Parts: sequence; structure tokens; C-alpha cells
Amino acid sequence: METISFSYAAQGAAKGRAIAGVVASGDLQVLLEPAAGRTEIRITTSVDGKAAVWSAVLDRLFASAALPAARIDIDDCGATPGVVRLRIEQAFEEAGAA
Amino acid sequence: MTSSLLQRQSFIELDARARALALLDAHSARELLDPFDRIKSPWLPRQGIVAQADDGVVVFKGRIDGRPAVVLAIDGAYQGGSMGEVGGAKIAAALELAVKDNLHGMPTCGVLLLETGGVRLQEANLGLAAIADIHAALVELRRHQPVVGIIAGPVGCYGGMGIAAGLCSYLIVTREARLGLNGPAVIEQEAGIDELDSHDKPFIWSLTGGEQRHAQGLADEFAADDVVQVRERLLGCLRRGLPFIHRSQQCSGFVRMLAGIEPVPVPEPAEMRSMVRAALGAAPARSGAAAPSASQRSSASRGAAWLAGLTDNAPALAGFPATVRVVDAPLGNEQARYIAVVPDEANRFPRVRNGEMGLEEGWHLARAIRQWCERDLPGAGQASGGATPVDTGGGATAVGVGKDAMAMSAGEGPTAGGGAGKSATDAALRPIVAVLDVPSQAYGRLEEGLGLHQALAAVVDAAAQARLAGHPFIGLIVGKAISGGFLALGCQANRLIALRDPGVQVHAMGKASAARITQRTVEQLETLAAAVPPMAYDIDSYAGLGMLWQTMQARNADQPTVEDLAAARVLLCEAVADIRADARRDLSSRLGAENRSASSRVRERMRELWGE
Repeated sequence: METISFSYAAQGAAKGRAIAGVVASGDLQVLLEPAAGRTEIRITTSVDGKAAVWSAVLDRLFASAALPAARIDIDDCGATPGVVRLRIEQAFEEAGAA
Repeated sequence: MTSSLLQRQSFIELDARARALALLDAHSARELLDPFDRIKSPWLPRQGIVAQADDGVVVFKGRIDGRPAVVLAIDGAYQGGSMGEVGGAKIAAALELAVKDNLHGMPTCGVLLLETGGVRLQEANLGLAAIADIHAALVELRRHQPVVGIIAGPVGCYGGMGIAAGLCSYLIVTREARLGLNGPAVIEQEAGIDELDSHDKPFIWSLTGGEQRHAQGLADEFAADDVVQVRERLLGCLRRGLPFIHRSQQCSGFVRMLAGIEPVPVPEPAEMRSMVRAALGAAPARSGAAAPSASQRSSASRGAAWLAGLTDNAPALAGFPATVRVVDAPLGNEQARYIAVVPDEANRFPRVRNGEMGLEEGWHLARAIRQWCERDLPGAGQASGGATPVDTGGGATAVGVGKDAMAMSAGEGPTAGGGAGKSATDAALRPIVAVLDVPSQAYGRLEEGLGLHQALAAVVDAAAQARLAGHPFIGLIVGKAISGGFLALGCQANRLIALRDPGVQVHAMGKASAARITQRTVEQLETLAAAVPPMAYDIDSYAGLGMLWQTMQARNADQPTVEDLAAARVLLCEAVADIRADARRDLSSRLGAENRSASSRVRERMRELWGE
């Protein structure tokens, strides 16, 4: 099990809180809360040694859209990059709708 | 046809949070201890398992059909919906607070969305403890308002939570649901593939599936996988109010049915359908009647030896099977009822020959406890404290109503009824001593098919009611206290005492089965147990969880000496006095150990959030 942290620049602040996903095999749970300034992400994952993959996935996601500042906690159980992106986007969408 | 299919919203496809929200009135729901509270499992990370922020249990407070309600939804997708310390504490805490609501005039009812395999083996003894707390709170809440269980699938409801289902006022099931005590893989592991092939899904559903359970009468309502239908069934159950008698109190019908069947060869599911239906439909009989004449033989066991020793070899009561020894004998200055489940090599039911708790054992234990409590009801020839006299010859029905009335007048201790709730009537409520040496529950196709989960629920019901009524109930662990057997007979006791001995083991599941279910080797589990105290089997680790009131050293745990028995009697008498001096009749004395601090933290936080 590993914990990895990331920080990204943000535009504005997330409006509400959101939960997406579940900690089941191949999935992850994303907890998103509003924050000020930058987006801080903390990941706990059952799969070790994939920090570079997480970095690549998150870099791509945060470069592709102007996302508001949020505190994001991720509990991951071996999700693929596609599922990771899906759940984070889902959380942002729900938070924006709140 | 197609349009209705398109309009239908699947209940099963919703996750736990969405299921709960679908049942609550719009805009009435508030989640308590949501993931953002981050009260997570203290035990999973040290095993390399990622902890989910809500520990797989969702708690919502709100209204259903305008009534105040609390909905507890188990997330079957996380760790198979298994009960860990935190998730289990969330359910127990919410039910406990719902009870307090009712005592203050707010009629909060309970709804349990049961999607669970039972105890989370990675937290074993703390999962078991949490489930015992859930049982206790469920039985208390059930006196005020209905508690409705909904089993929708695909995980189903097993283990200690299968027992919880058996305690519910009403159960709603779908076709995809399953309800039982032991999962198919466990039965296959323990009893062999001929007993049950865990890969034969059609057979498993025919034995324990929603349709079968509904046809048997072990579930009250059947719903299609449709949100609208499930909610309609739920509203219907709540509108009925409390049932006249709960299923877990209907001992006599099952006792008679079991006495009359041939366990070998195992009947087909179709026949088991009508057998259980008949047992539930039977009119209640007088508690003393109906049992088969039992021989006084029993095979040797620690439990039998300690029971004989503590009672000076007093004769066991007639009317119980050889596996259920019930002896009335002195404890200090008063009479107590001593109970034990013992092996019987020649038993008609092959799966209980080593002392396992099976069908007859469950229903007869419940009978033995209820019978004892009936005698102490006001109107049974003793000075009345003002409680309503009850017809004690009426069997199960009368006991249920009478004890409820008595307990409600006694209330929660010092605040109700004046003083410490002690009266002449209370001092006359005589103790029950359960001598615990049970290797497990029975693993068998017959047992699952005839509702072993319901038989064990009957024991929990009787034991909890005895404790709530004011009977000092003590569990004395002299050997194995494993899984359903322990949960049923031991875990509702006011106080637990254990011998300090390698033969004394407390756990949720035998090692081989536990290894298979958690996909580890037995050696790996033993290594983990050293780092994760709730997973250990030994009594010192168990004591460290705060579950035991006292332990004692015996010179000979297998065959107690005169000194051993004297020491045990002293402890038992002290326990009785300790219970009578304690205003609380719940299980809260088990909270407080360092290794169980999360259970207290959950309760504190839930209390903070409840009344907002």
C-alpha cells in the first residue's frame, strides 16, 4: 500500500462536495471538497510502484480542463487510468452541480 | 412490455447511498458519518487493504412516508459488505440512538439494507462484537417500532447479519436475494462438496434464494427488482406497525416440526418449503410441552464437564434434545439456569454431532431461556411491582408481550421508575449461566434450507430479552466460542468470563475456512493475527478488546477440579452482583478498551450529529 500526493494550479474553487466510486477491485473512491488556491490530491492505493502512471494521468487531466480548486482524497483498489479519470471527472461534475 | 421494462428502475443496480435515498422521502435525508468524517477502519491498512472512508456502511436519517426513520445501507461492493468495527458500530450506534428517540417520544423506525457476508474476517472479533451490538439494539428498537430488513442482492445476507435479518420485524426480498447463515463456500469447505457444491448456483438459490425464503415464510414480502415496488413494500410493512409476534419468538412450531422430520436423507428444497411454512403457521403451544423425550446421555466435552461440575451433577431437564443440557441448580443463595450445547455422537442430525449449534439446538435454547424468564414474570405467583399480570402458560406469545411490558416500565435505569430501578421484583429475576464450548454453528444443507439463521435469531432474541428484563445473564467461556454459536448463546450476555487456557478460542470462523474466504494461507492468517489483535484466536488477545469482564486460571480446564469450580462459582456470584449494581442493561460495558476505541469514537460522533 502506498500514499502519493500531487498539487495542481486551479481556476476558482469547487462549489460543493462529491463522492464518486467505491473501493472495489479495479475501482476507486474519490472524495472531493472545496478548497482555496491550489488543488491538493492525496492517493492511497493498494498497488505499489505506479507513481509515474498516476502523475501522467493527473497531469493530462488537469492540463485538459480549467478545474476549480479542490481537496481530493482517493482510495484506490487497482483502477486503470481510464477508470481513474472517469471517477475524478464524475466527482468534479457532481461538485459543480451542487 | 418493452416500455414498462424501460421505465422500470432497477433497485439492485443502485449503490448503497442511492438505494437509501430512493426509499427516503424526498429532501428529508441527512447522511451521518459520511465519508468526509473519515472515520475509517483502523485494522485494514496494516494488512495492505485500502480502507473506504465510510467503511462500507451508509447511515441516513430522515422520513419515510412522513415517519421519522433511520436507514442503514450496507455497501455490498466494498469487501463483500462485510462488517468491520467501524461499519458495524455505525449501524449499532444509529439503532441505539433510534431507541433513545423512542424513549423520548420520537417514533423513529429502522430500515436495514442488508447486502453482506457477515463478519469481516480481517477484523474478526471486532466484527463479531459489532454484530452483537447490532443484535442488541435491534431487539430494543423492535419493542417500539418495526425494524424492516431489505435483501435485494447480489451479495445477499449471511453470517451474523443473517441472524440480524431473522430478528427483523419484517423482511423484504427479491428473486436475486439470498438469506442464510453459512455461505456456500464455507459449507463446502467444512462439510465437503457432496453436502453443498458452492458452484451450483441454481441449487443454491433454490435452497436459500429470495423466492424460496418468501415461500417458506422466512421473508414477509417479495418485490421485483424495481425501486417503486421495493418502496411500496417497505411502506406497507411500516404501516402494519409492530407484528403481534416476531418470527424469532415462534419457538414451539419449529420445535414440533423438527421433532417430526427425518434429517437423512436431506429433503428437497420443495419439501423444505412446506416444512418451514408449517412450522411458522403452527399455533403457539405452552412452553413446557412438545419437546421429544431426550435421553440423558451426552458425549464428553469441556462444556459438559464444567456444567456438571458447577451444578454438582444435578439432573438435566427432560424435554430437551441430548445436545442441549439445561440444569437448574443453585448459584450462591438462589436458583440459576445453567445451559450448554454439548456433543452427541448419535444425534439424528449428523451435522451437530461434535457439539455444533444446529436447528434443534437453536430453537430449544431459545425455549429454555424463555421458559426461565416466564416463571419470573409478575403474575407468576410473585409480588407484583405494578406491571401487568401475564398469562405465563401461553407460551411464546405471552412471554414476548409480558417482558416487553415489564422492561418498558423499568426503562433505561435510574431515570425511569424512580431510584435505581431496583425493586423486590428485580431481585427475584434469577440468573442464567451459559457455559460456552461450541466449535461453531452446524454446516449443512438441511440446516441452511430450514433456516438455521432464524433458529439462532431465536436464541439471540430470548437472551437479549432476558437481559433487558433484568435477568443476570453470564457467559462462561471454557473452550471454543466460535462464530454463530458464540454469537447466539454468548454475545447477548451482560458479562463474559473466560478461562485463560490454550483450548479457549474466540473467533468468527475456523482457520481453514477463514483462509479460503480471505484467499490467504492459514500461516499467513496466523502471522497477521500477531499484528492485528481482533484477528487472533487466543483469549489474551480477546481480553485486550475489552469484551471480557474477568478471566480465571483453572488447574484443569478439561476436567475442572474442586478448586476450579469453587473459583468459578465465586466469579459467577460476583458477576451477578455486578450486573445487579449496574443500572445499564445494554452491552455498553464492553466499550472502552484501547483496541476498541473506534467503536466509541463512532458513537460519540453519531450522537453529535444526530439531533442537528
